[in-house]
Amino acid sequence: MRRDVFQAIADPVRRDIIELLSKESLTVNAVADRFDISRPAVSKHLRILHECGIVRYDQQGRERFCRIEPSQLIPAFVWIEQYRQLWEDRIDSFESYVMDLKAKNKDHEQRK
Amino acid sequence: MSNANDLKNRTLTISRLLDAPIQLVWDAWTQAEHITAWWGPKGMETKVIEHDFRVGGSWKYVMMMPNGNEFIAEGVYATIEAPHKLITSANFRPMTEGVELQVLLSEEGDKTQFTFHVVHETAEYCQQQEAMGFYNGWGSTFDRLEEFLAD
Repeated sequence: MRRDVFQAIADPVRRDIIELLSKESLTVNAVADRFDISRPAVSKHLRILHECGIVRYDQQGRERFCRIEPSQLIPAFVWIEQYRQLWEDRIDSFESYVMDLKAKNKDHEQRK
Repeated sequence: MSNANDLKNRTLTISRLLDAPIQLVWDAWTQAEHITAWWGPKGMETKVIEHDFRVGGSWKYVMMMPNGNEFIAEGVYATIEAPHKLITSANFRPMTEGVELQVLLSEEGDKTQFTFHVVHETAEYCQQQEAMGFYNGWGSTFDRLEEFLAD
């Protein structure tokens, strides 16, 4: 089975888990408490996220914390550039560039 | 559900009033030498591989990731009405998803009204994108203005 970021985000529960863990690291039990589905079901989703490289386990004493590996999300980030904020930023970049170009053209004309 | 509603659900729209003449805005959006300057996020080099600027012509931009991976955006121009209207299909790989990009420009005195639509294939797909809003933080890396001003 495919194990990559796109497999990781293919399931709505896993997307919710990613969103949850992107805010804070939590133990498996704490993650399970946030969902209505069974603990084994949550564990299975976490295992898939782990196999996809999105979630890392950190042993701290007797507790095992789940952490997000942000860099592993980059392929999805590039893929979802259709998403509003990213387009907004691209348009920002475009607008800035247009302003820059306009200023350069003005300089050019003044030098004539 | 009417078609108009359906289209609205599938469309992301961004509007700006740009303080620049329409021809300059059109050139900055459509000419390869300009596109490389604003397309990619800061720190990512954009290469224009293909830029066949005519109806039915292909475009292809590659962004190089710091780890050497490539991300490819490509499409085919569907409508070119300089300097007012540009419509192109677009795919973003490695995850190929057909969207349509529409750029509409109109003159407002010496400024330009800029309207940008991203039309997604399905409403479900569009909502899925919305659900992933937590990626927002990445966006702040985009602005290349400072770099240009610093030069």
